[in-house]
Amino acid sequence: MKSTGNDIVALNAIDIRRTKSSRFYSKFLNVAEQALYQQTQADIPFEKFVWLLWSVKEAAYKYYKRHDAGLMFSPIKFVVQQVNFPAGHALTPFTGIYWDSEHNTENYITGSIVYGSEQLYFRAKLHPELITTVVSQDEQFENVYWGFQLVEHTDHEHQSREAIAFSLIKLSSVLGIADLNIAKSEIGYPVVLDGGTPLDVALSFAHHERFVGYSFAL
Amino acid sequence: MDRKAILNELKKVLAPYTEDKTILEGINEQTDLIKDLKINSANLVDIIIDAESQYNIEIDFDAAEKMYNVGNCIDVIAEKMNRTA
Repeated sequence: MKSTGNDIVALNAIDIRRTKSSRFYSKFLNVAEQALYQQTQADIPFEKFVWLLWSVKEAAYKYYKRHDAGLMFSPIKFVVQQVNFPAGHALTPFTGIYWDSEHNTENYITGSIVYGSEQLYFRAKLHPELITTVVSQDEQFENVYWGFQLVEHTDHEHQSREAIAFSLIKLSSVLGIADLNIAKSEIGYPVVLDGGTPLDVALSFAHHERFVGYSFAL
Repeated sequence: MDRKAILNELKKVLAPYTEDKTILEGINEQTDLIKDLKINSANLVDIIIDAESQYNIEIDFDAAEKMYNVGNCIDVIAEKMNRTA
């Protein structure tokens, strides 16, 4: 099953006090997931850990939604099993305009998530400003590309336009096709078109506040 | 509280997370929270917590799973309110 799923959380938009209350995070993290914070000895604030796990769940939901139009997002049913922080992981500010996975040698935050009997792997980047996540069935993320970009405005139309334009640059470069387009499938996921012909590429978009991102799998 | 009254109260819950207040004013039971109101999914838990406070109910995530459109939200809220009445 070819699919992809990504997510972005703009951390300046979250309510830190609310995130840290058990009434909030226990809505979507089970006891074992909450315990991962201590087990992984994550050197990050708890609220960022909570949103990291949310982001992984959302990316996994998008992955499965592509092939199951009726799937509803029930985060408690997506269970993060493992979270690994790279040695010496530190929160460094994101100072650029965009980032993509071209130079795929970074030490990502990694782990796995299960949904029923299915398992996915995730990679995530965490900066003080944002969390961005991608999931794949392949632990090595072969032929999976992802990126994010800082945009000017937070309105939905602008976010969508910018995310599409940003992804098309990468898709054209990777596929070697200049005039690609993106349309929506009947059930709402993005489809990559070459002159009106759908390509065998799974594409996903995410946006939050001034960050937009894509992932695609070949 | 009837469905119309719940709908009116629900607008107040959704307002902080809705960019287009005109669309919010015109919502009906078919309005989709994410597709129509453009609510970011990262705010779904906020909406559940706020609805719990607004209606003095508790919403577990099994119920929350159904809250993808306004009509379903009203179903869940009405059911929980009946249970606590």
